[in-house]
Amino acid sequence: MADRLLFTKAGRARYISHLDLMRTFQRAFARAKISIKHTEGFNPHPFVSIALPLSVGYSSQCEILEFGLLEGTSYEEVPARLTAAMPEGITVHDCYPAERKLKELCYVNYIMTFDYPEGRPQESEPAMAALLSRERMAVRKKSNKAKAGFTEVDIIPLIRSWCIECQSDTMMVDMVTSAQNPGLNPELVRAAFCAEYPEYAPDFVTFHRRDVLDGEGKTFR
Amino acid sequence: MMNRTLEHILPKVQKPARYTGGEYNAVVKNKGEVDIRYALCFPDTYEIGMSNLGCRILYGVMNERHDIWCERCFAPWGDMEEEMRREGLLLYGLESGDPIAEFDIIGFSLGYEMAYTNVLNMLDLAGLPLRSAERTDFFPLVVAGGTCCYNPEPLAPFVDFFVLGEGEEVTLEYIDLYRQARDEGWSKEEFLLEAARIEGIYVPSLYEPVYRPDGILGEVKALEGAPEMVGKRIIQDMDKAYFPVKTIIPSTEIVHDRVMLELFRGCIRGCRFCQAGYVYRPVRSRSPELLAQYGKASCEDSGYQEMTLSSLSSTDYPELLPLCDELLDYCAPRDIGLSLPSLRADTFSMSLMERLQRVRRGGLTFAPEAGTQRLRDAINKNLREEDLLQSCRTAFAGGWSGVKLYFMLGLPTETDEDVLGIADLARKVYFTWREYSPNKARGVRITVSTSWFVPKPHTAFQWEGQITAEEYQRRVSLLRDALRRDKSITYNWHDPQTSYLEAVLSRGDRRLADVLEWVWEHGGKMDSWTEYFDYQRWLDGLAACGLNGDFYANRERERSEVFPWCRIDTGVDTGFLWHERELCYASTSTPDCRTRCSGCGANKLLTGGGRCG
Repeated sequence: MADRLLFTKAGRARYISHLDLMRTFQRAFARAKISIKHTEGFNPHPFVSIALPLSVGYSSQCEILEFGLLEGTSYEEVPARLTAAMPEGITVHDCYPAERKLKELCYVNYIMTFDYPEGRPQESEPAMAALLSRERMAVRKKSNKAKAGFTEVDIIPLIRSWCIECQSDTMMVDMVTSAQNPGLNPELVRAAFCAEYPEYAPDFVTFHRRDVLDGEGKTFR
Repeated sequence: MMNRTLEHILPKVQKPARYTGGEYNAVVKNKGEVDIRYALCFPDTYEIGMSNLGCRILYGVMNERHDIWCERCFAPWGDMEEEMRREGLLLYGLESGDPIAEFDIIGFSLGYEMAYTNVLNMLDLAGLPLRSAERTDFFPLVVAGGTCCYNPEPLAPFVDFFVLGEGEEVTLEYIDLYRQARDEGWSKEEFLLEAARIEGIYVPSLYEPVYRPDGILGEVKALEGAPEMVGKRIIQDMDKAYFPVKTIIPSTEIVHDRVMLELFRGCIRGCRFCQAGYVYRPVRSRSPELLAQYGKASCEDSGYQEMTLSSLSSTDYPELLPLCDELLDYCAPRDIGLSLPSLRADTFSMSLMERLQRVRRGGLTFAPEAGTQRLRDAINKNLREEDLLQSCRTAFAGGWSGVKLYFMLGLPTETDEDVLGIADLARKVYFTWREYSPNKARGVRITVSTSWFVPKPHTAFQWEGQITAEEYQRRVSLLRDALRRDKSITYNWHDPQTSYLEAVLSRGDRRLADVLEWVWEHGGKMDSWTEYFDYQRWLDGLAACGLNGDFYANRERERSEVFPWCRIDTGVDTGFLWHERELCYASTSTPDCRTRCSGCGANKLLTGGGRCG
């Protein structure tokens, strides 16, 4: 089976798109002189694959990249050497042989932070709790396949658990959502909240991926 | 490093990675430990600006100095500009995120005329007055370099001084003078007067154009303390020049996303229309040993999978084959592609082709420029038809199934016979394919592209009028009709509107500054992008300022006419240029600089008294 990297994408690197990030890794492996497997065919290139694409602008401390480490570099050396060859904001924490299949990755833990620099309205917290406690919450999601340009998604069954923690000027929603088939982008939760409670719409929301989990809710690596 | 406003804006714009900095090898210094903050500005998008080798060199040269922190700044795309203006976010340096208005020096790289409105727009986005005279504070200084500065007059009122020629040395010289002036409390005028004494610096406020009643320039008066002539700067020894081995690797795709290995500067050919061929003289080469070393080190440091050899005419590099061999020994086992963009059609040999095929095969492009031997001789392209066809034969026999051919329409002395000659030549290329291709089932793609000739300052054709737009269109139609029945030949022609404006601006005078400002005020920016370009706006701008574009573009100049760039000396004698023009009208070619020195004058720039090469 393949090898994996666990890495953080934060700070300025948040704005690197999925495709650009793969290219960045391909180059970083070359810069770090870490030999990795190439694809076969007419135009061979270093093979890398990112487990769960992250939306542009989100930060994450649990990104997983698959690749094939060739002889010449030990697993232990990879994180430091690769991090040194990376743009600002990407830190490689671990390199290890994959032991589980990617399809066992079932849930993602996201932290959404709603910013209210002018002070958070008291009612925002019960409003969010009410929204997440509904039986059903249909949200329009952009779709290139659907004729109408969007599809309707019920976000409630895709949220496994949640809790809210508030400060005077922020509201933090700690949420475990479905990772794939289908996954839930927490942006839809933000959009639903702002549509339902425009009066509590925050100034800005940041999204952070804290962990990826298996079917039992345990950390997936 | 990233400010909150920016963080709020970025999710709303396309390709936000262009606006964040933080790439591999981007230089971040401690503000408290540097003495000079420099904003290196490229008046186009990140993707274009980051592809510019000159900027990479200057970025490296400045940042090697501990006391200077050079940051980058590009023109934001419309969506980003709109957000910046709405949120009141001033144009900032990518490395620090600080507003460039607080920097010591703002330096623009000017490579093409259609970026001029972006210069104004960027100054405005920075929160600075556009005109030099209105920027009364000592800093930031606004300076500009690059090829367009060989006639900087249309931008003269906006820029404090222009830098002529290669910037590696002079940049540090004027920065040091600036520091002295700043620390000693000189006035801006005192500083500019002193800066004008540095070779290669043209201070436009020290010169005053005087126009005759008929509108033609009568004189460019040198005010007190201004040098009579301003010469350009060159690097004497390319082997000692800075090479950006360690350079920024963008985290998002740019136009030239590869290692660029600069073989030499200047060109031995002397094509009479080519500004680069004249203004970059004399020819100076890097040694092949050093190039091989730089090429490999650049691949190692960048992780790039592609390398391109860059120069005005790469096959004129004397040791090209041994260099390719050495680079290929490194590249091939690593799957690194090697490409050679500037090939002359008469020098594409079997041995070169085999080398280029070893890794990956790109497209093949030749630029005969003109369709008949007579016109090619007249413009001194010095390319023989049999050599072009021989090259095509080699390529087709070697398995290439497509070739692009570039031509210009409207060259001096061009007749309909010359225009139709393009179609004949393209057909001969097609027949060559039919005869020599080993695999005709794949078909062939022959692309003919024509642009509209723009006469440029400091060339043998600087006196020429551009043909009118109607005449250009007529010649396009003539060629299109001639090629109509050739299914294997695709014909593309350049849109005439930008070429006309280039002809206006490239030989324009200081009065055009008002037009630039008018166009910018009426929404002009990103004029090299069809999304933004509005031809009518430029015509309106010219009319509003009481100027006639045809006066600049279409008018043939007398030999005695005073040019707006008459104070600028590229090292090539004007008498030589005029003689070259006369040879054009006699359809006589001039041999290349290695075959015989034509005495253009540029070799006097070599201080060691050496010869070009």
